[in-house]
Amino acid sequence: MIIADDVRVEFRRGLLRGKVRALNGLSLEVRDGDFFALVGQNGAGKSTAMYCFLGLMKPTSGKVEVMGKVPELGSPLNEGVAYLPEEPHYHLYLTVEEATRYYASLYGKRVSDKAIHDALDRLGLAQFKTLPLSKCSKGMKQKVGIAQCLIHDTQLLFLDEPTRGLDPLIVREFRETLREIHRRGATIVMNTHVLSEIEMLANRVAILDGGKVIAQDELRNFLTTDRELYTVTFEANGSVPEYLGSVERSGELVMGSIPKDRLYDFMEFTRASGLDVHECALKKTSLEDSFFKILKGSGSGA
Amino acid sequence: MSVLLRANILADFAFYRRSRLLLAFAVLCLLLTGLSSLPAIFSDSGVQSFRSLQGIFSELNGMLLFLAGAIGLFVISSHLRSRCLKMVFTKPCPPSVWLGSAFLSAVFISLFLNSAILGGTVILSLIWHLPVRAALVFVSADNFIVSIGIIAYMMLLATLLHPALAVTFILIFNAEMFYDFQVWAQGAIRAGNSSFYLRLLERLFHFFYLLLPMVNPYGKETENVHSSMRVAHAEWKYIVYSFGYVLTLSAFCYFLALFALQKKRHI
Repeated sequence: MIIADDVRVEFRRGLLRGKVRALNGLSLEVRDGDFFALVGQNGAGKSTAMYCFLGLMKPTSGKVEVMGKVPELGSPLNEGVAYLPEEPHYHLYLTVEEATRYYASLYGKRVSDKAIHDALDRLGLAQFKTLPLSKCSKGMKQKVGIAQCLIHDTQLLFLDEPTRGLDPLIVREFRETLREIHRRGATIVMNTHVLSEIEMLANRVAILDGGKVIAQDELRNFLTTDRELYTVTFEANGSVPEYLGSVERSGELVMGSIPKDRLYDFMEFTRASGLDVHECALKKTSLEDSFFKILKGSGSGA
Repeated sequence: MSVLLRANILADFAFYRRSRLLLAFAVLCLLLTGLSSLPAIFSDSGVQSFRSLQGIFSELNGMLLFLAGAIGLFVISSHLRSRCLKMVFTKPCPPSVWLGSAFLSAVFISLFLNSAILGGTVILSLIWHLPVRAALVFVSADNFIVSIGIIAYMMLLATLLHPALAVTFILIFNAEMFYDFQVWAQGAIRAGNSSFYLRLLERLFHFFYLLLPMVNPYGKETENVHSSMRVAHAEWKYIVYSFGYVLTLSAFCYFLALFALQKKRHI
């Protein structure tokens, strides 16, 4: 679906026209049907990579192909593409209904009133259809952006920090809508800082640092289970066993990790002390753990 | 293509409709028309009424040209500055279609306002028992054609420059000004000043005069129609010539603006 090969982007910015190297040999592949997440620190090149995939920026060197073609501004290639920008840079003078109709019409096909109203109904925007976008919250604007995916059969959806600044309820609704769009067969490329969200949605992840991909794999390979270590949470009345590592306390609860060969000792300790064990499971490596480990390995300051 | 053009033009109409600039223009027009018609209301003289009508017509037409420039400038610069074009160009809508739609929408608005001014003037003529002259149609058509050129030129400047710089540029660097400079330099040379620098300056003024677009290329030839409100049959050809000039100018501005638009980073 998307191939980026040794993509470099350099441009000049500011009064002194200082050279900025936004991408520095980025290579990645997004496969058909992927829910692909781009992860990285601020300035890692996530948004620039997305701009290159959308044709909004031309690489200084290297190759970008989307659905087998080189992306360009307003190209026919975009017939199956939808994009939700990080900042809601929408046509603020349009109302919710006008903007939905306008964005949907930009795919070059006539859009029926029913299709517009159905999409607005589904996203809970029907009652706000006459409200100008300038007076809408970011969540509502994002829904207007999503409406075009429901009206047209989007094959490839780009999301740039889609849930930043949204309240938890809208984030949850938004996730459900994305899952539905993905279930319909769309490939989704998302760029976000919220690693827990990636764990919930994505199936493949690329970690970017310094304008290039430093790790790219299936999400499940970033979420490994350490079979030699258990994480435990229990109620403590004072002392804790000396083999308990990474101890954290929260009120009466104590969290920590214990080696596999001390598991029975720990059970004996809690039984003898009459302590309640809230949780005991093999230690899982979260995406966050993998992210920091990979960044550290790459020599980044994280 | 027709769906894209229609969608963009309708969006631009919404932009104009909610623009305070247009609202201010409408209020100003009404105010101006009201004030200018006062003498005619209290006068029984046909000459006085004709002078008032001519004054109102010419003032409104003049204001319309300013508005046409403002529309051309703002429809481009406000979209560029609000960075909303990334929502357009990430769809199968190329910059050529978007720019063409913006130009057409501005031309439609100019046509509508020109027609409204012409219609209003005809109604006033009838109310004041003045003959409806063919020159009204001539002046309106001429004004509309001039407005097309202004729209195209301002759109080009808006893609290249900050709106404030674009306004400054058109106020300072225009063909009429360089023509006046050239005439002054030629006069000085004829008066005996044969300095090399003055000759160089005269050539430079001539070069800029040729380079910069003219607002009204047949302004001198049609001056008489505007002042007397009488048009001879032979003078209608200038409308056709002006239209030809404006089409060429618009095409030139369009392709240059398109080139600039495609080079911009819409992020």
